Amino acid sequence: MNRRFAFTMLAGVLVAASCSSSDSILESGNETPTTAASPTTVAASPGTDDTDAPPSSDATTIAPTTSTTPPPDPGLCPVDALENADGPVEVLFWHGLNGATNDGIEYLAAEYNASQSKVKVRLEPQGSYDSTIDKYVQTSQASRPDLVMFPEYMVQQTVDSDSVIPIQSCIEAAGFDTSAFRQATLKAYATAGVQWAMPFNVSNPVLYFNRRMFEKAGLDPDAPPQSLQELREYSQAIVDSGAASYGIAIDSGTDSGGGWFLEQWFANAGELYADNDNGRTAPATKVLYDGPVGVELLTFLQQMVQDGLAYYVGGNATGQDNFLKLADQTAPAAMTIGTSAAMGTVFDALDGGLIPGITNEDVGIGPLPGPSGTPTALVGGAALYVVADHGDETTAAAWDFITYLVSAQSQSEWAVQTGYVPIRADALSLEPVASTYTDDPRFRVAYDQLIGSPDEPALQGPILGPQREVRVVTALAVADIFEGGDVQTALTDAAARANALIADYNAYN
Amino acid sequence: MAVSEPGEATGVIDDATDKARSGGRPSSSAFSTPRGIRLAGRYALLGLVTFIVLFPVYTTIVASLKPGNRVLQNPLVPNAFTLDIFREAWTEGRLGRFILNSLVVAVVVTVCQVATSVMSGYAFAMLDFPGRGVLFMVFLATLLVPLEATLVVNRRTIDSLGWLNSYQGLAAPFLATAFGTFLLRQVFLGFPDELRDAARIDGAGHTRFLWHVALPVVRPTVGALALFSFLSSWNQYLWPNLITTESDMNTVQSGLRSLRYSTLDKPNLLMAGTVIAAVPIFAALLVFQRQLVRGLTAGAVKG
Repeated sequence: MNRRFAFTMLAGVLVAASCSSSDSILESGNETPTTAASPTTVAASPGTDDTDAPPSSDATTIAPTTSTTPPPDPGLCPVDALENADGPVEVLFWHGLNGATNDGIEYLAAEYNASQSKVKVRLEPQGSYDSTIDKYVQTSQASRPDLVMFPEYMVQQTVDSDSVIPIQSCIEAAGFDTSAFRQATLKAYATAGVQWAMPFNVSNPVLYFNRRMFEKAGLDPDAPPQSLQELREYSQAIVDSGAASYGIAIDSGTDSGGGWFLEQWFANAGELYADNDNGRTAPATKVLYDGPVGVELLTFLQQMVQDGLAYYVGGNATGQDNFLKLADQTAPAAMTIGTSAAMGTVFDALDGGLIPGITNEDVGIGPLPGPSGTPTALVGGAALYVVADHGDETTAAAWDFITYLVSAQSQSEWAVQTGYVPIRADALSLEPVASTYTDDPRFRVAYDQLIGSPDEPALQGPILGPQREVRVVTALAVADIFEGGDVQTALTDAAARANALIADYNAYN
Repeated sequence: MAVSEPGEATGVIDDATDKARSGGRPSSSAFSTPRGIRLAGRYALLGLVTFIVLFPVYTTIVASLKPGNRVLQNPLVPNAFTLDIFREAWTEGRLGRFILNSLVVAVVVTVCQVATSVMSGYAFAMLDFPGRGVLFMVFLATLLVPLEATLVVNRRTIDSLGWLNSYQGLAAPFLATAFGTFLLRQVFLGFPDELRDAARIDGAGHTRFLWHVALPVVRPTVGALALFSFLSSWNQYLWPNLITTESDMNTVQSGLRSLRYSTLDKPNLLMAGTVIAAVPIFAALLVFQRQLVRGLTAGAVKG
């Protein structure tokens, strides 16, 4: 019977472990590695974001679309209901932030609660995006939170869950001005002409590298590689010079090398990842990554692994393995790719002396090297959804909190604490982000590559119903490829499985 | 899980030592050298197993005692020492609250499992009612249904009762156990008929007989079942993790997860939290280990 006991517990642990396997610090960010705001730089900021697309006069919140879906009813979001409330209205907010991104949201919520008396926000961190999603999906509408944060790949599933109020209702009911927003961040959470969620924490992948190793290899740490070809050349130089054992550490995690980065690389190449304009004009029916672009991309990466230029760290369930390879005492890599939102965590860990021999200043941040050689980025991170049927007052209260979170001032503070990208241009002229972006350009990299991205369907990223599951099968194929499997076979198989998932999803929704 | 390993390992060692003793006896007089070699081999093997089992425990404890900037340097050498990490893990991980929750749930589960097992085991062994055999088979069959198979349904039920984030939600699915029923039935089956007859002649009904005669006799088995129930409840991870959406109601094993997330850059905090969570159960195992093994094997021979 002891054995049964042990087996049961083991099975439990295994299941639990597999459930949490895609929890990722990649989505986390961290607390203020910020430099002290220097008074001299304060005035310099308003002109610094001239790369922004000017807020067009007819800027709307609605993504361009061919769909004829009627606009959602503003009556769904009674933004004035708060005025009739007696006593403070509680808003329960589930989020998947962790580490010091959790500290960041706690800070903002505390500031908000202290700033007014009508609404009291109660945070319930669920630990990761995955467990937020799982718990939300499994829970009845009444037990769901009033406000929930979902990552960018959850748009279609959330829409189909019929459980949220499209944020467009609130925007229209309140006459909320979104003209200062980066339009791409809004579009990422719009489908078939309806704005479903309010973007809040926007991140994208950047290149982390060891500046000392670059110098040792005779490379300019202020000019990190921008194209995949350069990435290979830099890696070669690093390995040849002995500055490090490997050029780059790569992984096959779903929210990194096995899924998210692929979507980013496809966008960078100007290629669609899924049909129907990445699922933006009509529900996608199939993925397109098994074509020549995908094969070329993954063959290139596979070759880097086989030539000893890249080190494959595996599925990277913790999201830390690729970073730790840079700190490897015996056979380190000089570069890795990770979300900009991990910047705070990485800097914090280094400031705390966790990694012997590497300091905060040794870390360089560069744009994500991509097929085109011109940095671009899809909107990553997460957005806020207002849960339906929780009462007018609660809905209004949730909306009020959202407007606080996406205010220019909040976004400025949030970006500096975490490494996330401000979603609105006017945040850049406000402290603390104004001086941080000037004094520590590493924080700007993610922002710059996002605003540098052209406005075309490929650069809005895919919206798939079962996007999370598609990433899982794709990541398995990538793992197979990095371990030496045949590229075309792996991608074809993965695409077939992904397409079956999509067909199933579309049939049921 | 982690905590049960040292206990099991000790059991293995005990067994093996017994075997070593009895196996060694005949050869001891004549061939002392081969016996010495054999013994040395056995101890080497046991030492190796002990090392493998205890190594993670050792690294965990070492890491939990080192300040943050020393954790990754010489991770096997305890070259720095601080108790601050434990204090920080205790407060930051809210372990006091989680341990209280674990304790409440484990006590409720233990009491209910023992009560239901004793009564159902008694019924299956001592009462003659139609369909008893079939019903018992059905009971046993539930042992074959893994927890994971019923998770979703159970969670929906708890949700529809409005019991998410509550003690009753944490405990409800585990109030009865087919294993406990089976265990006590086997013990009751071996119960001397004379005792039952004597009690009946003295006018005792089932309740009185169970309480005053049967229960005292099977107390070791009940004790083992109680400890076993307590351990499995304390070590639960998946279920509490699934039905708590508010951290106030988390149990300690599941709550450690949130410590992991809140301290990504401080591995030593998580290690300290793990040690703290393991201490109560480790102590319980050390104290009751013999009783646990003896009690669980009690019905084995007879049944």
